[in-house]
Amino acid sequence: MTILVEWEDLVYHYPGGVVALDGASLQLAAGQRMVLLGRNGSGKSTLLRHANGLLRPQRGRVRVAGQPLDYARAGLNVVRRQVGLVFQNPDDQLFSASVAQDISFGPMNLGLDLDEVRARVAEAAQMCDVGDLLERPTHALSMGQKARVALAGVLAMRPLALLADEVLAGLDPWAYEQVVAIFDRLVAQGGAVLLATHDLRLAERWADVVAVMEQGRVRV
Amino acid sequence: MQVIDRYAYANAIRQVDPAQKGGLALVALLLCLLLDHPLVSGLSIGWMLGLAVGWARLPGRVVVQALVAQALFLLASTLSVALSLSWGGVAPRGWAVQIGSLWLSSSPAALQHALVLVARALGSAAALNFLILTTPLVDLIDLLRRLRTPEVLIDLMTLTYRAIFVLLESLERMRVAQEARLGYCNPHRAMQSSALLISQLFIESYRRSQRLQESLESRGFQGTLRVLPNTYRHDVWAWRLGAVMVASLVLARLTR
Repeated sequence: MTILVEWEDLVYHYPGGVVALDGASLQLAAGQRMVLLGRNGSGKSTLLRHANGLLRPQRGRVRVAGQPLDYARAGLNVVRRQVGLVFQNPDDQLFSASVAQDISFGPMNLGLDLDEVRARVAEAAQMCDVGDLLERPTHALSMGQKARVALAGVLAMRPLALLADEVLAGLDPWAYEQVVAIFDRLVAQGGAVLLATHDLRLAERWADVVAVMEQGRVRV
Repeated sequence: MQVIDRYAYANAIRQVDPAQKGGLALVALLLCLLLDHPLVSGLSIGWMLGLAVGWARLPGRVVVQALVAQALFLLASTLSVALSLSWGGVAPRGWAVQIGSLWLSSSPAALQHALVLVARALGSAAALNFLILTTPLVDLIDLLRRLRTPEVLIDLMTLTYRAIFVLLESLERMRVAQEARLGYCNPHRAMQSSALLISQLFIESYRRSQRLQESLESRGFQGTLRVLPNTYRHDVWAWRLGAVMVASLVLARLTR
């Protein structure tokens, strides 16, 4: 089984002395559905932010598709294409008032030609079931719709692994199922999904692997 | 603002190239200012209302209401041009009313001057109304990008416009939370609560900008917000109609 993302013995202290990671290690393999549980402040978000180079560990190493993470601009561009990161509040991600333009942002950054970008937008929109929202203004969407658009914006970059930080929090059961279905589609295509959540039911019925974070360390 | 936004997204010419809609509005606006005659302005208002209702299929009531609201503002602010105050023993020329030692007066020339001002401003307003009621801001930003506006300005406009809606929502949430705890029970508390709200909103905007930065970085942000340009349709006869409009405005000026 190919390991897509590997966190190896990471230590990270926030400025001000808060210890977020204290020797955290974890492996995410292709085709895996992983749920990461842990109390607020246990370091889940910090761990996720290390996977695509938003944060740089003070000790330890991150590998993506077997390669140690390269923190130069070019290296980060490669890693951010491979590892997609979605955050809890879609309003933090959606920067454009046009749904289609927001989804196109990632593919445009990959330097693809316009036809390819259009194809990617259509593909991601279909996968996230937001095809009929493309012409709508972002601020007219419901929370569940925004969550799916935010996912489409990341999936349009065709990441190998998708890491999602609490994206299911606050969604109604129907919107919730729709988002879980998107994760399943991604896994069916050979991708990996890591979901940081407080939802024990999801850990029980959906996940292949359940990891638990406590005080900056991970137990699988 | 949200009413404007709604019509901008739901009108019959939403898909028409913003260059075409913007071009028509801009020409009408420029002619109002350059030819500067009440007849031209009146005719231009007619054209813009006609295009908004006939071409964009906007409800006439909405378009007229917007213009009437602006007209009221304009009338209030040109009052000082039409009327003048003076004091002293001699009655000013024109029509005058004496209140104590004050004279409130007006004259045909002053009225004419005020009329020209109102007409010019209202004509311009009608042209801009047509544009903003038929064109969402994203399309205007798209147009500015095609016109090679500096990227920094484009990005700022994109983010500001989006932030308006996000921050309005936060504002409303915080206000309701304060209200629920009797934050506005008397004028004094209301003042304090508003002050708190404003400072919290600043902090919230700052935090939000950090989270936005992270999520943009995650999607491979390269320093500018590059997005897919929209595709639009062109109405050939709208250009012809525009030419007729220009001719009619110029003719109206020449005959006076």
